Amino acid sequence: MFAPSDVLQHATPDVLANHLPPELLSKVLAASLAAGSMTPDRVLETVTPELLAQHLPHDVLWQCISAAVARAGVAAPGKP
Amino acid sequence: MNVKAFFVSALGGALELGIGTPDDVLRHVTPEVLAQHLPRPLWARLLTACLGAPKVDAQLVVETVGVANLCEHVPATIVWACIAEIAARALGKSSEQPTAIPAPIVESKSAPAPAAKSGARVALAPAPPLDAPRRPTPPPSPAVQGPAIPPVEHADEPARPAPSQRFRQASTGIGRVGATGAAARRPQAQAAPAPAPAPASQPAARVPGRRGSTEAESETETSVESGDWRGKEIAVDDSQLVDWSSENTSDVRDEDFGDFSRKR
Repeated sequence: MFAPSDVLQHATPDVLANHLPPELLSKVLAASLAAGSMTPDRVLETVTPELLAQHLPHDVLWQCISAAVARAGVAAPGKP
Repeated sequence: MNVKAFFVSALGGALELGIGTPDDVLRHVTPEVLAQHLPRPLWARLLTACLGAPKVDAQLVVETVGVANLCEHVPATIVWACIAEIAARALGKSSEQPTAIPAPIVESKSAPAPAAKSGARVALAPAPPLDAPRRPTPPPSPAVQGPAIPPVEHADEPARPAPSQRFRQASTGIGRVGATGAAARRPQAQAAPAPAPAPASQPAARVPGRRGSTEAESETETSVESGDWRGKEIAVDDSQLVDWSSENTSDVRDEDFGDFSRKR
């Protein structure tokens, strides 16, 4: 229903930087430096959905899910 | 003292001049260090730059964060370690090489000194007072073998004129002999070995066997072993002197050398 890039449209770098713990931030940067690039897929490989749900605000995660459902035509965006 | 300003100048200058590279910076300012000390707005800027850049490397990280922000937020010890490594490499030294402190040298005559522990200092004995009696210097051991050299007696020795005043300067005529050419040269007789200078005195002190068998033992005209030549004036007649400058020596023959010692 949605790709890692859809997640990062809500879980922006600002959101990640302000809510992820330092060890996760260092892991993201280290993995990107080792691979030579930072992609949404690589970010979500390090910051798994469990970690996102653990550290990011839930409204941000819900907006991400709601937008995906709206794109799929199940419900209007922003409505439960 | 603004240490951070110095760090910014030193590290920024090193990166600008190519003395150091961003990889050198990230060897010390690791992602863990950045995660611990970099403010979150700077982390947001860094993540944004990394997600939008096609290539993520140390240069992107350093340029995005900035040297000033690195020196401002990263601990000074880490920044200094980075600067020291860059400086050591630029000077051709190893950054891991410890600063060697030379240990004091202890002279021991009896037994070798035990291995000094690292960092331990050996206590030195105090210096002797200046008015302390000095140990007598042992006399030099006499030579085991070899002829004794008699002492020179300058007081009783009469003033002798210089040889140049009594004899004409001998001319070997080397140039003239060479000028005759190689074709005019004749085979020369083998020259007798020159008699070795005999010891001035104490002939009994000679050690048999040390001298070569070819050495002449007979007394020569110039022998000084008798020691009674000092008081005598050597009578030299002008007829005994050879005028080498006027004599034609271009044709050197064997018989010319035959009476060489007699002419002298």
